[in-house]
Amino acid sequence: MSELKMIHKPEITHTQLVKYAGASGDFNPIHTVVPVGEKAGLDGVIAHGMLIMGMAGEALAEWFPRKDLRRFKVRFSKMTRPGEKLTIEGRVTGEKWEDNEKRLTGEVSVKNEAGEQKLSGRFEFKI
Amino acid sequence: MESLLKADVKLKPFQFTIERGKIKEFAMAIGDKNPIYYDADTARKEGYRDIPIPPTFPTAIEMWGGMDFETLIELFGLNPLKVLHGGQEYCYMGEICAGDTVTAAPKVISSFEKRNLRFITIGIQYINSDGKDVLYSESTIIERGGSKNE
Repeated sequence: MSELKMIHKPEITHTQLVKYAGASGDFNPIHTVVPVGEKAGLDGVIAHGMLIMGMAGEALAEWFPRKDLRRFKVRFSKMTRPGEKLTIEGRVTGEKWEDNEKRLTGEVSVKNEAGEQKLSGRFEFKI
Repeated sequence: MESLLKADVKLKPFQFTIERGKIKEFAMAIGDKNPIYYDADTARKEGYRDIPIPPTFPTAIEMWGGMDFETLIELFGLNPLKVLHGGQEYCYMGEICAGDTVTAAPKVISSFEKRNLRFITIGIQYINSDGKDVLYSESTIIERGGSKNE
C-alpha cells in the first residue's frame, strides 16, 4: 500500500503547550503547570493528546484536500513531553463505499525520534 | 467488576459561533501552516465558503462552548490529576467555516469502570444554522486509578 509523505514537526516546547491550552480552551494544568504534573505523578507536564491529533490532522490536509475528509479516528497510546520531536506517517490502505460515495481509507501514526508511537489512527477521504 | 457510574449525567446543548481569529490561533498553536486557515481568499480559491475549521478544531468548540475541563471534572466527579484522553473520533458530514454558528447536542454514550480505570465516552452531534447535520464527535476520557483513588 502506498506510503504518504512523512511530516516532521519541530520540537514541542512548554510555550507551545501554553499556546495550545489557550487556543483549544483545555486548561487542565497537567499540560502547563510543572508542579501539578509532578503531583500527578507524570514527572512534569505532558502534551494535550488533541495537540498530537491536531498534528496528525495537519498531515491529513497536506496529503489530501481538507474538504474531502470524512472520518478521522485516533487512539492515544503514549504521553508526549516538551523536548520531543514528532513525525507523522501515513499510508493508504484501500477504498470503500459509504453514504453513496467512494472513499479512500488510510492509517496515520505519530512517533517520536526513538520510534515510540504516540497515536495511531484511521482516516477516510471522499475520492 | 464493571459498574455504571453516574449514568444519569445530563450534558447541556450549547451553541458556538466560529471566528476567523480563533481558527488562526488554533492552527498556529498546532504549527499548522496551511494557508486555508489563515487567508479567506486562499480558502475561497480552494473552494471553501470562508476559512474552514481544521479537522480537530471541534475540541475548541467544545472547550470554549461550555464543555470545558473543569465542567466535565465536576459533572462526573473525576480527579483532575488522573484524567487522560484515550481516544477521539470525528465524522465530517458538512463544511464548517468561519462565520458559522453550530449547535451541539452532547450525550453520555457510556460510563463504566474496568480494571481500576474509569472510561467515559461522550458523543456530540452538531447541526448548523440550517438544521443540517455537519459533524459528529466522540471522545473517550480515562480516569486512572478509579474514582476512589486518593
